[in-house]
Amino acid sequence: MKSLVTIHEGRAANWALRLVAGAAVIGVMLWVPTHGSNPLIDQFTNAFVLMAAAMSLNLLLGYTGQISLGHNAFFGIGAYATGIIVSRWGWSPLVTFPIAFIVAFVIGVLVSLPALRIKGIYLALVTLALGLVFPQFIKWRKLTWLTGGPRGLDNAGFNFSKKRRTYEIFGWNPFGDMRGQGAKPFYFWIAAGVVVITYLVCRGVVKSRSGRSLIAIRDNETAAAVMGVNLAGTKAMAFGISAGLCALPGCVSTILTNNVVPDSTFLSIAGSITFLIVMVIGGAGSLWGPIIGSGLYVFITQKTGDWSDEKNIPAIIRPFFSWAKTSPGTGIFAVTLIALMFVAPRGIVGVWHQHSPRLMRIVPRRAGTGTGTGTLVDTPVDDTVAGEL
Amino acid sequence: MERFLQYLFDGLSIGSVYALLALGLVIIYRGTGHLNFAQGEMALFCTYVVYQLGEWGIPIGFALVIGVAVGFALGAVVEVTLVRPISKKSPFAVFIVTIGLFQGLNWLDGAIWGDQILPNSAVSKQANFPTLFPSKDTDFVTILGAAWRLKYLGVLVLVLVLTAVLFFVFNKTKLGLAMRAVASNPESAKLVGIRTNRVLMFSWGLAAAIGALGGVVFAGINNSVNLGLMFTVFIYSSAAATLGGFDSPGGAVIGGLAIGVIENMGAGYFPEWIGQELKLGVALFVIVVVLLVKPSGLFGTAKVERV
Repeated sequence: MKSLVTIHEGRAANWALRLVAGAAVIGVMLWVPTHGSNPLIDQFTNAFVLMAAAMSLNLLLGYTGQISLGHNAFFGIGAYATGIIVSRWGWSPLVTFPIAFIVAFVIGVLVSLPALRIKGIYLALVTLALGLVFPQFIKWRKLTWLTGGPRGLDNAGFNFSKKRRTYEIFGWNPFGDMRGQGAKPFYFWIAAGVVVITYLVCRGVVKSRSGRSLIAIRDNETAAAVMGVNLAGTKAMAFGISAGLCALPGCVSTILTNNVVPDSTFLSIAGSITFLIVMVIGGAGSLWGPIIGSGLYVFITQKTGDWSDEKNIPAIIRPFFSWAKTSPGTGIFAVTLIALMFVAPRGIVGVWHQHSPRLMRIVPRRAGTGTGTGTLVDTPVDDTVAGEL
Repeated sequence: MERFLQYLFDGLSIGSVYALLALGLVIIYRGTGHLNFAQGEMALFCTYVVYQLGEWGIPIGFALVIGVAVGFALGAVVEVTLVRPISKKSPFAVFIVTIGLFQGLNWLDGAIWGDQILPNSAVSKQANFPTLFPSKDTDFVTILGAAWRLKYLGVLVLVLVLTAVLFFVFNKTKLGLAMRAVASNPESAKLVGIRTNRVLMFSWGLAAAIGALGGVVFAGINNSVNLGLMFTVFIYSSAAATLGGFDSPGGAVIGGLAIGVIENMGAGYFPEWIGQELKLGVALFVIVVVLLVKPSGLFGTAKVERV
């Protein structure tokens, strides 16, 4: 395939490209909380919560190939860890993040123990049951003293009694207005922080030796075992980290709404399915897939949210959706999901990797430790496309 | 004793609904090796269709036939247009497609009929969801002091009759022979002249039709239909299929009845510990224990994995 531009990794052009991409991301991140409207900031915050959850599922499903439909339970563990600790004991919500991670990690490892014997579709079944049982378990009579039963817990977020500092550089506040009870930028930054942490952990795992063993397990379990991958340990690890990471956006969701109830969307099985759909549409098994998928998901659900009222549908597409009594967001995603399986099983990121070489190709640096000049056989530069996979 | 019998009767009746959906799961699994996550939602769609026919004044017996036919068509169409082409790619893709169907059908039900509980006095003409069996409060038989309501008893009888018919079809007809041949070895079945594609299409249609029947009778017991009706039924029936063995139709029926009884007894005898909230926990427990102790289920054939 002939591409318009060929860039070698590590050259100046490659660095310039990275710089531009980085600057664009940072620019958006700084613009939204300072200049964006409150609904826009909210939208970003919600997208961040979904992103972190989908990324954690991606680590397990996209990279290790272990199907989980029970991630709403881990999300809920995070949400309730924050809820219980803040609401009952009055600790700072920020302290609850590591606690939630550890609790979910332990429970994730426990869940993985049967998963070592149960494979494929059966694992999906077990985790689906787990996801369905979780909200019921929270409502369990014997646990009401802790979880608050069906009514949930209130006052579980930040309590702004103290005056917070603001950071200003020459009269410009890079983080946005963070003072006051309803300060949107504050929540924006918490959610963004969780996304960054989740991304870095996922990237760290995936690009390392353990990441390669995860992918090996996904692609061929038997071969992986023969190559010396510790199946039990690696799977348990992947389950634990994925569960722990999924708890973090759960904490954020509690902080955002200042309360936690067992029947909220992401805590029920709908949460798991949403994470799954977002991840697959963006691109399973790629670091950026869940990020793109979540952004798209939040954008479309926001746009179509009030379409159950016919008047709000744009005139051009009104005939297609005006018959529906509920907003078409979920339906659009379900149809997209099925269609993607036919045309692009790797999601949006997969489509990009497939077609971007026509436009631009980044030739990866040659592997190995040699200096490149003194080698006996000068192999031609590898022609493959740089990508996550 | 009375209490025991009461729980037993209720359990058997509810369990027979699980048995119906589990039968559908097993038929599909035997044929194509996939677990159809949309089984419950396909049934729910047909249940809504039956409700709508009832709204139009069509008697239940007739409406049920149409509903089951819609189910058959839905299952067959899904197999031909979605599952067959996608199963060439990977099992994971099929899993995702069934999840997409699950979500899509549930959304479609909501889009057409709204997300309220139906029938309700605001939008529907009928007061109750149509049932095949007498459903007044006075319609029950008393056995050793325990009441068995006719609409519950009727469901059980219906399931047992249907199971008998299916067994006859599976074991005594050419079609059943073809289905068993495809289940045991698709390539050889093709070689001896069985049209595997048609058999698979029929399997999916049959599974969805049985599921539709299950959905309608469950809505009858429940007296209403709503969007979340089938979530829990699906989990119970997959627990039933796991217990009975995923490739054994007889096991699915026995598993379904057993799960119904276990669930009702658990909730009835331990109202403090299990109660209505943790009934689902019973299903989870059964699935995990069976998969760990005897992954092939009670009546299934053990799978030997070759490397």
